[in-house]
Amino acid sequence: MTDTAAGLPRLGITLFSLTLEQRRPGTDLIGLIREVGARGLGPGLEMVAFQSLRGWPRLDETLAQAVRGALDDAGLTPSCLAINLDLALRPGRLLSDDEAHDYLAVQLRGAAALGFPVVRVGAECGPAVLTRLLPLAEELRVRIGVEIHSPLTLDAPPVAALKELFTRLDTEWLGFIPDFSASMRAIPGAVTDAHRAAGIPPELTGLATRIWAEPGPTMAKFGDLERRAAALGARPDQIGNLTMLLTMHGRMRPDRWADFFPHVVHVHGKFYGVTDGQDPSIDYPAVLAVLREQKYTGFISSEYEAHAYTDRHDAFDQVAAHQRMCKTLLEAR
Amino acid sequence: MGPLDDQVLRDDAVTVTPDGLDIAVHTHWYRALPLSCVVRLDVTVDGTPVVPDVTVNGVRRTRAELADLTGEYWFTTDPLILHVPGTAGEHRVELDLGLSIPYILTGPDRRPLLSASRADRTLTARRP
Repeated sequence: MTDTAAGLPRLGITLFSLTLEQRRPGTDLIGLIREVGARGLGPGLEMVAFQSLRGWPRLDETLAQAVRGALDDAGLTPSCLAINLDLALRPGRLLSDDEAHDYLAVQLRGAAALGFPVVRVGAECGPAVLTRLLPLAEELRVRIGVEIHSPLTLDAPPVAALKELFTRLDTEWLGFIPDFSASMRAIPGAVTDAHRAAGIPPELTGLATRIWAEPGPTMAKFGDLERRAAALGARPDQIGNLTMLLTMHGRMRPDRWADFFPHVVHVHGKFYGVTDGQDPSIDYPAVLAVLREQKYTGFISSEYEAHAYTDRHDAFDQVAAHQRMCKTLLEAR
Repeated sequence: MGPLDDQVLRDDAVTVTPDGLDIAVHTHWYRALPLSCVVRLDVTVDGTPVVPDVTVNGVRRTRAELADLTGEYWFTTDPLILHVPGTAGEHRVELDLGLSIPYILTGPDRRPLLSASRADRTLTARRP
């Protein structure tokens, strides 16, 4: 396991990193957990419930026992269970707050039964539903963290509303799960490679990259990119791929991470590839320094996401490299 | 445009059955979604559009029935089986799969993201 010195953040993996490995014939969840343990990619283990657990949001007791046993045998610590609020699961209307509460409450109970101390929800889960879930979270002793993922930043109105809620309620059972994608310094090579492979002309990817790098809030850049890409002859599906470049890669200054505190319950160590011990697209030294200054001792889940663009790299090896990089940076004096 | 899109129709996707062909479709989304979120499932076989029956979770249904299945999920490693007319041999299968992502809401009117994946493959129907 990649243990860190006392008083520092702890490391771990989310099985989301192994999205492609999960699909290999003959692979199952228990086998993946064993392999994570055997390769020492803990101690923390996170998973996406709807990705890994057959039958979710109903939790099969036999599966629950098998998962708990496998984690224990592998020497892994359950860190966070990613759950979802599927607000638009009914055609034509969104779930009401009552329905949203019920949809998440059953998942919160499932997380507790599996031994996870934290669940992750998305920012579509607003203050009203979180407030209603708080008593159950307290009863189950499971913290609810709202993931702040690119293109969201602290200044986005939904995030500001959450910060106000957490401050006002002054509770340890609700908080943030910041994701490193909020603060990126370059577009990952995996993304530009995938654009090229998909036949997107390099001048279009170059245009999107230049607009991405300009100062100013990301939300204001979408219209500009769509207009200028269309003028260069981009098709609608290509414009969709280009705007994803703005959506997935946030531009928040690393020092702003301090403002998530003291409400951080878990961290997503998003990355798209570690090369020679460094992450070219995310300023890990700067953000990890903030986590250290804030005396954060929770988990950072290594979340390899380049599998969305390429299967050229081994995700297990990438996670190992990411954890070595984080450990080195965290323990540097 | 990612690796999961390349696996929507795999090399062994088409099999021969007593009453036609089965086409195995794998999801390009990383997590299980409610069956009601399979909002586009446009299939042509050798150029002819087909509205297939669908088997998932061991139950065969018409295409139209999926829209009401809000409490049943398409798991990440399970194929959705499309039942179409046809016989053994090579077939060109074109598939336009559209998934409504129920937790990613976009725009001022908060519509779910539509994630589309298109496949166009010529595959040999095998006997199981």
